[in-house]
Amino acid sequence: MTETLTNTHLFGILLTLGLYYGCLWLRKRLQKNYINPLLISAFLIIIILTQVQIPYEHYTKGANFIHAFLGPVTVVLALPLYRQRKLLVQHKFSILGGIFSGVAASFISVIVLCRVFHLNEILERSLIPHSVTTPIGIAVSNSLEAIEGITVISIIITGLLGASIAKILYRILRITHPIAKGLTLGTSAHVLGTTKAIEMGETEGAVSSLAIGVAAITTVIMVTVLQVWGLY
Amino acid sequence: MKIFKQLLIILVINFAGELISETLSEPLPGSIIGMLILLILLLTGLVKEKHIAETATFLLDNMPFFFIPAGVSVMVSYQFLDGHLAATISTIVLSTLFVMIVTGLVTQFLIKSKKDD
Repeated sequence: MTETLTNTHLFGILLTLGLYYGCLWLRKRLQKNYINPLLISAFLIIIILTQVQIPYEHYTKGANFIHAFLGPVTVVLALPLYRQRKLLVQHKFSILGGIFSGVAASFISVIVLCRVFHLNEILERSLIPHSVTTPIGIAVSNSLEAIEGITVISIIITGLLGASIAKILYRILRITHPIAKGLTLGTSAHVLGTTKAIEMGETEGAVSSLAIGVAAITTVIMVTVLQVWGLY
Repeated sequence: MKIFKQLLIILVINFAGELISETLSEPLPGSIIGMLILLILLLTGLVKEKHIAETATFLLDNMPFFFIPAGVSVMVSYQFLDGHLAATISTIVLSTLFVMIVTGLVTQFLIKSKKDD
């Protein structure tokens, strides 16, 4: 009986929507911003599928409809970029310089650390886009023929970490300028970092949401350059 | 009606991006080309914010929902992490720290050294 109920389009959509809504409800109810609906929903779905022994293919039957929206989600990222265009023109030198250095630091550190820890190449390629916003991270992961599941998890860990340590890190490094604060959060911790940046102030939030898009484009360009050179 | 029109615009742009991506020899993702197309259309005024606003805002505000299936897909590739979990998490943590330190210091330095940019 379970077979006929789970091997449907409805099952994957219902499970995903139900758990995500449940997490949103719980976060609002408990007023705890650290509750991450994406991470918790994905974790619970994996637990349910493995414990009830529902084949992964049954889940993807419906989930593929949700996954198909990654394209449109990526396209509309142009909107926040467009809205913050004046800020970019005003501070182009510092903003582009800062973001470029951050993206380069991400590439270099992932490549070096993977060599140090003896991680294989497929893991290295999966971790390359860990600082980028999720839909673009997934696209980069796919174009590198990496594992998108690992990329997504690494992006969430990065976002949660970046958002929670930013304040302490800024104090230690004496980073005081609102543009530097927002830019660092957007470049390193994408949307989750931007949520934190908005709490810090208006300029911080605006710069952070601009940095998400610019850092993503910079990452895509760098990956393409590496591919053209035949390094990946 | 309005939502359908907005969704249609966004999907057509997405499709155009995929089309261009197919014709390019380098593997630049179609969705990202789509994002650049939309940015150009907005900058040139060929597409106005109001042509996509409600649908785009819905997608942007609820982004994480659309990533859940990709997150779940880690269950079929767990074998790649087997025995490498601690090293993988260490890589993510150290790399994130490094990115934040570099970005923060470089940006702060650039702003202070060029006050009027």
